[in-house]
Amino acid sequence: MFALKVARRYLTSNPAQTALLVTGVALGVTVFIFITALIEGLAVRLTDEVTANSAHVTLEPPTRLAEILRGDEAVRTEGVALVSTFQRRQIRAWRSTAELITRQPGVSALSPQISGNAFLVKGEAVQPVSVTGLEPEGLDAITPITPNLVSGQGALGADGLLIGTQLAEDLGLTAGQPVLLRTDRGGERLLTVRGIYKTGLQSLDSRVAFLSLQTARPLFDLPEGVTNIEIKLDDPDRAREVADFLAGATGLRATPWQEKNLNLEDALEAQGRTGTLIQIFSLISIIIGVASALVLSAYRRRSEVGIMRAFGISGGFIVAVFMLQGLLIGLAGGLLGCASGYGLCTFLASLTDADGNPPLPIAPERGGYVAVLILTTLGAVLASAFPARSASRIDPLEAIQQ
Amino acid sequence: MRQVLQARGIVMTFRNGDEETEVLRGVDVDLATGELVALVGASGSGKSTLLSILGLLLRPTAGEIQIAGERVDRLNEKARAAFRNRRLGFVFQFHHLLPDFTAMENVAFPAAAPAGGISPEMRRRALSLLDRVGLSDRADFPATRLSGGQKQRVAIARALMNKPDLIIADEPTGNLDLRSAGQVLDLMGEVNRQDGGTFLICTHDEHVAARCDRRIHLVDGKVQPDGERSDHLN
Ligand SMILES: Nc1ncnc2c1ncn2[C@@H]1O[C@H](COP(=O)(O)OP(=O)(O)O)[C@@H](O)[C@H]1O
Ligand SMILES: [Mg+2]
Repeated sequence: MFALKVARRYLTSNPAQTALLVTGVALGVTVFIFITALIEGLAVRLTDEVTANSAHVTLEPPTRLAEILRGDEAVRTEGVALVSTFQRRQIRAWRSTAELITRQPGVSALSPQISGNAFLVKGEAVQPVSVTGLEPEGLDAITPITPNLVSGQGALGADGLLIGTQLAEDLGLTAGQPVLLRTDRGGERLLTVRGIYKTGLQSLDSRVAFLSLQTARPLFDLPEGVTNIEIKLDDPDRAREVADFLAGATGLRATPWQEKNLNLEDALEAQGRTGTLIQIFSLISIIIGVASALVLSAYRRRSEVGIMRAFGISGGFIVAVFMLQGLLIGLAGGLLGCASGYGLCTFLASLTDADGNPPLPIAPERGGYVAVLILTTLGAVLASAFPARSASRIDPLEAIQQ
Repeated sequence: MRQVLQARGIVMTFRNGDEETEVLRGVDVDLATGELVALVGASGSGKSTLLSILGLLLRPTAGEIQIAGERVDRLNEKARAAFRNRRLGFVFQFHHLLPDFTAMENVAFPAAAPAGGISPEMRRRALSLLDRVGLSDRADFPATRLSGGQKQRVAIARALMNKPDLIIADEPTGNLDLRSAGQVLDLMGEVNRQDGGTFLICTHDEHVAARCDRRIHLVDGKVQPDGERSDHLN
C-alpha cells in the first residue's frame, strides 16, 4: 500500500523526533502495564492471604425459621436470634457429614469445630475472644498455626490454649502462663497458654484462641455435636459451586469464603477503580501526545500535502497517510512499552525486602499487555484522525502560493 | 486541430469583506492540441488566477470551461481532483518536490498514489521521463540533493507522468538562474515538439514568451485581441 510507504517515509525522515514520540507512547504504556500488574498482583496477594488462612467453605446448622420463611430477610434475622436463644444450633451427625465431605473431589482438608465467644481473664485484664475448639491433629488444617508460632509449641493437650501475639500482649501473657477462660455459656476453666503465634492477620492475632475440641465441649455445653465444619479446597475459586453442592447434599448452611469476606471484594473493587483511572489517564496522555505530534507534522507538511492535492491525489489518501502514521506510532510505542513494562515488572517482582518477600506484590504476567496494545494502537489512530482530516482539507492554492 | 481547452466568459471577483476586486472580467481562452502558449501580462493582471481556474484549483465567479471535451466547471471537488490527476499536469514557480522521496518516486507519485503503489510499468515510465529531462543518473537521488534546476526538471517530469492533455505552468523559470531557466525552457519546447504536449505557460519573462507559438495577453482583466497586441509591438 502506497499510503503506508509514504507514512513510513514521513516517520523515518526525522528519526530523532519519531523516536522521542514512540518513547513517549512507550512510557505511557509502561505506566499502564505497571499499574495493571500492581493492582492485579495486589488482588492476588490479598486473595491468597485470605484463602491461605481461612476456610473456603463453612458448614453450619441451618436456621430453622429461615428454612420455613425463605426469602424474607427481616424475618430470617429474627429467626436466627430465636433459634440461638432457645435451642442450641449444632451439627449432631458431624462424623458422618465429615465422612461424606472428605469423599468429595477437590476437598483438601476439613476441620469440625466448636466455635463460641468467651473472655480471657488475666488478673485485672479482660479480653473478649473468639474461641475455636478443634481436633488437635487438625490444628493447621484450615489456618497454618504451627508454622507461625513465635513462642511455645503447638501441642494443645487437655488444658492447652494457643493465642496470637497481639492478644498475648494485651493480656501480658507469655507461653506457659495460666489464664482463665469464661465462655458465654457460663463455662469457666483455668487453661495454660501453650504457644503464641503470629499470622499477620489482625483478627487472628488479636481476637482468636484455639483449644482442643474435647476441652471446648464442657465449656460450651456441647457434649456431642460441633457448631461448624470448616473445609479447605484444592481450588478456592470453586468455593461457590462446592458450597452449593454441599448445602444440597447435607442440608446444612454452606458459606463460601467470598461471602464471608465481602469487605475484601469491596477493597479489590476500590483498588480496581483507582487502577482504571490511572489506566485511562495514561491512555489519554498517549492520545494527546500522538495527536499533538501529528498536528505539528501536518502543519509542517502542509505545502507538500497541498501539492499532492494539486495534482489530484484524493483526500482519502492524505487521511490514510496520517492515520497510518498514528497506527505505526501506536504499534511501535505499544510494543516497546509492553517490552519495557514487562521488564520493569519482572525486575520489581524479583526484588526482595529484608523478609525475603517482594516489596511490591507485582504480577508481571498480568500486565494487560494485549489490552494495552490494542487500546494504544486504537488510541493513536484515533488521535491521528483530527490532523489527518485537517491535512486532507488543505487548499492546494495556499500551498502553491507559499 | 483538436481543441484541448475552451474557456468562455471567465469572471473572477475576490471579495474581502465589503471590498470587491474584479480580477477577470470575461476571459475566453482556446487551446489546440500541441500548442505552446504563453500567458503574459503585467504583474497583478490575473495570470495566476486564470491558471488556477483553468487548472481546476479555483472556482471562477462565472464562466464555462471544457477540457478534453469534458465540461469541468460544474464538477464537485472529488471529481475535480480526479480530473486534475488524470488530465492535467502542473509546474509551479517553486518545484514543490516531496523531500522524503527520490527523484524517481516524485515523478511516479501522481500515478502511484491513486493506484496504491509504484508498479514496474510506472517505474519504467518515471525513469524514461527522467531520462527525457536529462536526469536518468539522478533517479535514486533524494529530492533534497538535487540542484534548483534539476528539481524543476523533475517537477516537469512529474507533471508529464500521467500523460496529461494540458500542462499548466506558472512562472516555471521564475526561481531559476539563467542557465537553468534556459534548460527548463528547452525541455518544455522539446516535449511540446516531440511528444505533442500542450502547454499554457504564464510568464513575465520575454525570453520565455518569445519561444512560444503564440501569446495570450491579459490587460485589465480581459484578453487583449491579437491584432491590437501586434500593432502595439510593431
Ligand atoms: N485570494 C485572493 N483574494 C483577493 N485578491 C486576490 C486573491 N488572489 C489574487 N488576488 C488579486 O488578484 C490580482 C491578480 O493576482 P494574480 O493572479 O496573482 O496576478 P499575476 O499572477 O498576474 O501577478 C491581484 O491584484 C491580487 O491581489
Ligand atoms: Mg502570478
